[in-house]
Amino acid sequence: MKGRFRTSMAWLHVWSGLVVGWVLFAIFVTGTASYYRADITRWMRPELAQAPPVAAADLPKVAERAVAYLERHASKAKTWFIGMPQPERPLLDLFWRTRPGAPPGHVLLDPRTGAEAMVRDTEGGDFLHRFHYELHIPPLWGRWIVGICAMIMLVALISGIVTHKRIFADFFTFRRDKAARRSFLDAHNVTGVLALPFHLMITYTGVVALATFYMPWGVTTAYKGDTRAFFREANWITAPRPPIGRTAPLAPLGPMIEEALATVPERLERLTVTNFGDAGATVVAMFEEPHGLAHTPTHIAFDGASGALLEIRGGDLKPAAKTISTLIGLHVAHFAEPGLRLLFFLCGVMGSAMVATGLVLWSLARLPKLDVTPSFGLRLVQALNVGSIIGLPAAVAVYFLANRLLPLGLADRGEWEIRAFFAAWIVAALIPLARPHRRAWNEMSMLVSGLCLAVVAADLAMIEAHPLRRLGEGEALFLWFDGAMLALAALFAFAARRIAQYRGPSRTDRWHEPVLAAPAERARA
Amino acid sequence: MTPAILALNLGLSFAALVALCLSLNRHHAEIFGTKPSGRRVVLLRVLGWGGLVLCLLVAGEAEGWGFGPVQWVGAVSGAGAGLVLLLSYRPRLVAPAGVAAVGLAMTAGLLLHVA
Repeated sequence: MKGRFRTSMAWLHVWSGLVVGWVLFAIFVTGTASYYRADITRWMRPELAQAPPVAAADLPKVAERAVAYLERHASKAKTWFIGMPQPERPLLDLFWRTRPGAPPGHVLLDPRTGAEAMVRDTEGGDFLHRFHYELHIPPLWGRWIVGICAMIMLVALISGIVTHKRIFADFFTFRRDKAARRSFLDAHNVTGVLALPFHLMITYTGVVALATFYMPWGVTTAYKGDTRAFFREANWITAPRPPIGRTAPLAPLGPMIEEALATVPERLERLTVTNFGDAGATVVAMFEEPHGLAHTPTHIAFDGASGALLEIRGGDLKPAAKTISTLIGLHVAHFAEPGLRLLFFLCGVMGSAMVATGLVLWSLARLPKLDVTPSFGLRLVQALNVGSIIGLPAAVAVYFLANRLLPLGLADRGEWEIRAFFAAWIVAALIPLARPHRRAWNEMSMLVSGLCLAVVAADLAMIEAHPLRRLGEGEALFLWFDGAMLALAALFAFAARRIAQYRGPSRTDRWHEPVLAAPAERARA
Repeated sequence: MTPAILALNLGLSFAALVALCLSLNRHHAEIFGTKPSGRRVVLLRVLGWGGLVLCLLVAGEAEGWGFGPVQWVGAVSGAGAGLVLLLSYRPRLVAPAGVAAVGLAMTAGLLLHVA
């Protein structure tokens, strides 16, 4: 019975991993990059590298400049979102929605003048971050696909733990000089086991983060479809206030911001203004969360017409809300200092490697004998493997490259960067179809390595304020980023060399049983 | 404070993992050419598990019991990844690295004590 249980779990592990593997790899890689989302965005807006940060004392004036712009350009909008200047983005980030269906408005302002900022149009790291949970398709579909993949990932993790019999004995084992299947199985096990707490945490919290999206029925029933009432009762947001229907001017924001800043020690992140021009207008100031595991930002609501403080929300969550806030907090790791952040990043890299080695293992375990033509399924998996495992890094490198090389005045420049990303990915996924499999791995790895070098070269060529061109003076972020790109280039060049040196699967080796074979067979090996 | 605590955690967990790694026949043989004696296995395992528990206690005490376990898990995963690579590429350096990690942990601990 025990043997059969493990065999069925092995089957479940292999197939659950395969069906979602390619999407999971993309989710893992973009999610891992999202730990450095703010830094990526800053690198992609090099004009801001020299901009001095905005002092807290200037914030009330800055907020009034934002409102002045919105009164002129978005007086019909129901809600204004005002992103206040942050260390990584010293700009006003204005966003508004006029009515459902109409494209939302979005503009970046210079906080010192209130005029539109002279900064290149780019989505920056936010594109990778949104791709992580929406895949750049309509959000409803994207979130469902990501969620289903995450749920299946949990199945693959648990069944993988059951299948892996020698967790402790093989804890440190990585035999890279053995047959390919042995090395890849070791790499798969080691990356999976060493960061297992992270993998379980990140997958589970990833599902939980969108739990009310996947299972809205509880909230729908208990709150008669009014999700905002639910969020309000959970203490996540301040009380929603409908418009009254009587016009009234908006009181000056400056005094409200001063009062809010005096109340909360954290950094002011965002303002929302709802029902502008109505006597029921509301201004909500949202602050960065206090240092802690839970994701519990403080919100302060003001009456827009009178400027009176209405309520302060956040921090005092009830147990259930506190639990989910902590789970989400763990997932996004806002609390992580540079050292701990690097460890989270490393765990993300190990997760990506675990998915990638698992995918390759599936195809290695099914290589046919020399004289047999590979089946269509095997060819498909092999091509998809190269297309995702090498294609995605190639696409990310091209995304960075496009940011440096596209003309600054190009209309929809940010959109073109994203088009370059997908074009590169499609090309990178098609090339392996036309090349012999191992050659494709080798050539594509070299290509990614070259692209990473090209990013560094383009950075040096296009950025006049680059520290290397100014004898070390200037923004260190460019050095860090280019250093990371050089490291990636070295990694892929190393991989390409190893693939070229590898003599190919020898048909006489003893690795012909399925990878996840019965324990007796594996013990013999 | 945090970088020193992180160094302490990484050093301590790396040393503990080296002890646990050497308590396994295969890795002991890879590094020293022989299987470990029974007494040595017991000693290494006590040291290894003791080190991991100590690391958790240090992390919890220093960072609070919210962040401590998070930092501990991260440090053990990170140290484990380093150890696996070292064991695979430079097995002869594993034992000296373990000793150096103890040194790193003690230096960081001393720094914390002074500060």
